[in-house]
Amino acid sequence: MHDINEEGDELIGRIVRELKTLPPVPADATARVLARVDAARHDEGPGRFSRRVIVSLPAAIGYAVAATLAGFLIRGAVPRQPSAPVVAQSPNAAVSQTLGTRTTLVPAAANTRALQEAPIKWQFVLDAPRAKSVTVVGDFNAWDGSKTPLERDSASGVWSALVDVHPGRHVYAFLVDGKTWTLDPNAPRTKDLDYGTQQSVLMAGMP
Amino acid sequence: MRADRLVRRMRWTLSIALLVTARAASGQASEGLDSATAAAIAPIVQQARAANLPVTLLYAKAREGQVQRVPVAKIEAVVRTLADRMRTANEALKPGASEQELHAAADAIKSGVGPETLRAMREAGGDGSLAVPIGVLTQLIARGVPVERASMEVVALLKKGAVAKNFIALEESVRQDVLAGRRPDESLDLRLKGIIPNLPQSANADAAGLNAGSPRRPR
Repeated sequence: MHDINEEGDELIGRIVRELKTLPPVPADATARVLARVDAARHDEGPGRFSRRVIVSLPAAIGYAVAATLAGFLIRGAVPRQPSAPVVAQSPNAAVSQTLGTRTTLVPAAANTRALQEAPIKWQFVLDAPRAKSVTVVGDFNAWDGSKTPLERDSASGVWSALVDVHPGRHVYAFLVDGKTWTLDPNAPRTKDLDYGTQQSVLMAGMP
Repeated sequence: MRADRLVRRMRWTLSIALLVTARAASGQASEGLDSATAAAIAPIVQQARAANLPVTLLYAKAREGQVQRVPVAKIEAVVRTLADRMRTANEALKPGASEQELHAAADAIKSGVGPETLRAMREAGGDGSLAVPIGVLTQLIARGVPVERASMEVVALLKKGAVAKNFIALEESVRQDVLAGRRPDESLDLRLKGIIPNLPQSANADAAGLNAGSPRRPR
């Protein structure tokens, strides 16, 4: 260790000694600090913790409303994760989606795969003239019926929708009037081994 | 003292705001599931997230059960099984699998495809996406082609340079044959004869000198 005093630099040695010395403290300082602390305790009284907790009912309701509003404001400011997988609209978007999901993916492989997995438009059609509403649920929309309502052609009564699906095998069904599980009469069917229900199958090719 | 009270009230307000925000965030994370289902699958999702698996597939599987009004206990069991399949698929499809590939591979495993087949497919398929080939494999099995036979043929096609459109064409041909009354394995035999000679790595293409200097897989 480098020692300044041993070098004989008298000036620096004096400065160091000066800095090491604590400033003088008045003799009654400790007593004054303790007296202040004691006075503060006495002012709050023995039940101070309870007094902190108890607030009047109207004030509590007011705080709760304000806090809820603040919470939702904060929530709105924070970017939300979509409730279903984001369907990539372009090869570049697909790259970022894939990389975001699988950190171990080699970038070159990710590019190749993302291009091959870019979504294509798939038309779903159901002839249901008496239905009030038709949605399609499947693994391509995370089984969320609210995402994909079909539109009714007023002349024919045929319902249809164009949906982005990734190339590959997908299973789906129509929900008629929000509750009736309906298979696609024009598509192959398969029995789902997990839940035991019948599902329609589509095989989507590359874009 | 008034300043003290103000500080305390601000603390309370902040605490409640944080609680509300956390509750809102957890509701968002449950991906549209009812609270009982979300709570039941939460530990499974947490483990999958720690293993770097895409949890969107787990939420989708849970919602699939919910939309069919399946009991929560059954949904939990199915989601747990899916997470296991995804782990197996992820391991087999090293060095890395896309979400689409994992989805397809988990379905294939459900149909009886072994991880060794998935490994062979990755090796044969290079950097290309296996989502379509694995999907076609699953569908061939669903049509009635035996698992071993379908697995062997799909791996062989990949080794010969087959791409997504070849697999889609094969599946569509088999579908039409089966609808016309032909046995699935017979149809597969027949349709492979029409596809293989035109693949880049097939013996015929080699003999014709089509593969000289060409890459193993089209990029």
